[in-house]
Amino acid sequence: MQELLLVRYGEIFLKGLNRPYFIRSLVRKVRYAVRGLNAEVWVHDGRIFVRGFSELDECIDRVTRVFGVHSVSPAVEMPKEDFDAICNQAIEMTKDLKGTFKVNARRSDKRYPMDSPAINEEAGYRILNANPDLKVDVHHPDYMMNIEIRDKAYLYVKSIPAVGGMPVGTNGNATLLLSGGIDSPVAGWMIAKRGVQINAVHFHSYPYTSDRAKEKVLDLARKLSFSCCGIKVHVVPFTEIQMAIHEKCPEEYTTLIMRRYMMRIAERIARQEESEALITGESIGQVASQTMTALGTTDAVVGMPVFRPLIGFDKSEIIAVARKIGTLEISELPYEDCCTVFTPRHPATRPKMEKILEGESRLDTEALIERALAGTEMIRV
Amino acid sequence: MQVYLDNSATTRPCAEVKALVAEMAEDAWFNPSALYKPALEVQKRIDRTREIVLQAAGAAGSRIVFTSGGTESDNLAILGHMRSRRPGSRVLISSVEHPAVSACADELKRTGYPTEEIPAGNDGTVDLTRLAEMITPDTGLITVMQVNNETGAAEPLEEIVQLRNRLCPEAAIHVDGVQGFLRVPMMFNKLGIQSYALSGHKIHALKGTGALIFARNHPVRPIQFGGGQESGIRSGTENTFGILGLGTAVASWHPEDCGRIRELKNRLWSEISRKIPSAQVNGPDPASNSSAPHILNVALEPVRSQTMLFALEGDGIYVSAGSACASRKQKVSPVLKAMGIPTARADCSLRFSLSRETTEEEILYTVERLAARYEMLKRFVRR
Repeated sequence: MQELLLVRYGEIFLKGLNRPYFIRSLVRKVRYAVRGLNAEVWVHDGRIFVRGFSELDECIDRVTRVFGVHSVSPAVEMPKEDFDAICNQAIEMTKDLKGTFKVNARRSDKRYPMDSPAINEEAGYRILNANPDLKVDVHHPDYMMNIEIRDKAYLYVKSIPAVGGMPVGTNGNATLLLSGGIDSPVAGWMIAKRGVQINAVHFHSYPYTSDRAKEKVLDLARKLSFSCCGIKVHVVPFTEIQMAIHEKCPEEYTTLIMRRYMMRIAERIARQEESEALITGESIGQVASQTMTALGTTDAVVGMPVFRPLIGFDKSEIIAVARKIGTLEISELPYEDCCTVFTPRHPATRPKMEKILEGESRLDTEALIERALAGTEMIRV
Repeated sequence: MQVYLDNSATTRPCAEVKALVAEMAEDAWFNPSALYKPALEVQKRIDRTREIVLQAAGAAGSRIVFTSGGTESDNLAILGHMRSRRPGSRVLISSVEHPAVSACADELKRTGYPTEEIPAGNDGTVDLTRLAEMITPDTGLITVMQVNNETGAAEPLEEIVQLRNRLCPEAAIHVDGVQGFLRVPMMFNKLGIQSYALSGHKIHALKGTGALIFARNHPVRPIQFGGGQESGIRSGTENTFGILGLGTAVASWHPEDCGRIRELKNRLWSEISRKIPSAQVNGPDPASNSSAPHILNVALEPVRSQTMLFALEGDGIYVSAGSACASRKQKVSPVLKAMGIPTARADCSLRFSLSRETTEEEILYTVERLAARYEMLKRFVRR
């Protein structure tokens, strides 16, 4: 008899020829997640198993955060020949339960002497006799005692929901514009959940922002790094560009022009990283630079898709996700980021493209971008 | 060049303390409560340290308890003393106190001791006229700090004691001396206050070390319980390295250090005001006696403190915006606010704090970099 973890993935992704690729990728991600726990991960009979782990709770916590995993069950694996032993194990696993239950047997080994209804009946009878606190309800049971007869017998009661999504890397790369705020890490997490390997760009405005602010962004990236299987963060020196904009462009347009420079630089880095899209944490109308017109003017400088997964989210909804994925408390640290330092008092909410272009024409865009890229530092977390 | 001008946050342990720690780690690491001779030797050294520290505070013959630092000393002085008074007894806390003192107010209120804030004047010291109105016969404790940690303003302790003696002689006075000890003279016995808190790492000793000095007849009840060390007032195995280090740092302090530090601070201010005429001092006139010798708080509008702080860091100069204890909270300094300084100015304030290790060369380099950074940064501020 052995304790193990049964890992389920979404059936929906298994159609067609990409199934083996998908499973191989997911197994690699689960292995990455349980490293350091002495665990062994293998695929058998179309299922992923983890065994030999030192800490069950820690193992469950980590595996349920792997994108592509839909649920896990702590299970017991035992020889299938001795049916009495199987029933005794089922009794042991249900002895502390109160309420209603049913036995759910599955027999993929059709040579097994008992069929599924017979297993249900016999095991259910014995569990009922052993635990006076349980009653049978075959329609809406509180607990399901699963008994699977395969090459061996597998027994489990609990099914713990996991994060879902698809294994990171199965859907290509994208580049996240990561500030120190609440939104951008959530946006990155949501896209990564869809199987996208993300890398990040952060704009650093020393001395307007500090090493602590940079460290905060790296901490955010580290928080995402587990689910994303490692993230490269490109830290771009942005002070010179901000100062140039501040000196030469109309005040109400400084934020928008700054955003356009960020997008231009992010796109160049994205192309180096072979990303196919940019990701931002913008949401309609949240601030002046996130009105529809304003988003249109920032999109205009980018030649690849810009994903804004939070576009229809309220702040409270974003905060709820940030709390769930553990980035909120880091985002709430008070170090200023480059967006807040130079905020104009009255930013343009209905910007005019001519004015933006006129403002930008006073800047040596190419040289500014080249210098920023030359000073960019790449950090792997 | 690296210039450390954040000595009110902490100081570098001095050579004597470093040597002592190495020596103790070899030969004097015993638990002073044990019965064998080497342990007894440590106990004797602790007792000698008591004398050294009491002497330095003008408190010979008074009692002293070693603690984990300024915060614990203040907590013990305030909560430990009020436990000996009947509920309803009032506590007056100055509005510019360090959180180690001001945060005791909630606990006092919870346990039935009303607290009130003593307003501060423009120079950052308590408003004596208002204090006189606030002291009533049911006042149990008045707490003020010797030197304010953000502005360097030294409280007029003699006047406060006189007011207390006249209006409510039964009230005790606690003085938080964390920023003042050694740098501003303290004559504990002569002054007639009841307790005095100090911290080791602000005077080149180790972190995790402090003391509370209190008068013989002044009741202080424990707030931490255990093996009954420190006459039962502060249980827990003595931090022998820290305590002996505190004594060593105190013994290595020379009275003339203060004069030299003050000269450098005056030089710092005169150079800043010459090169940046718009600079303003927060707190008392730096040259006056009501300003501690080692702290200078300057507003450099319109450049925000955080920006200037990071810019100076780039030049190897370490200063702080307000106090390090509060900077993680990033709110406008409550001390500057209590002094009536507008938010915009408080937001542009830097604290320079000197030590006996500070040199003239460092001061001149700092002013040169500060002025250059100021010229550049003032062009790029929120319009």
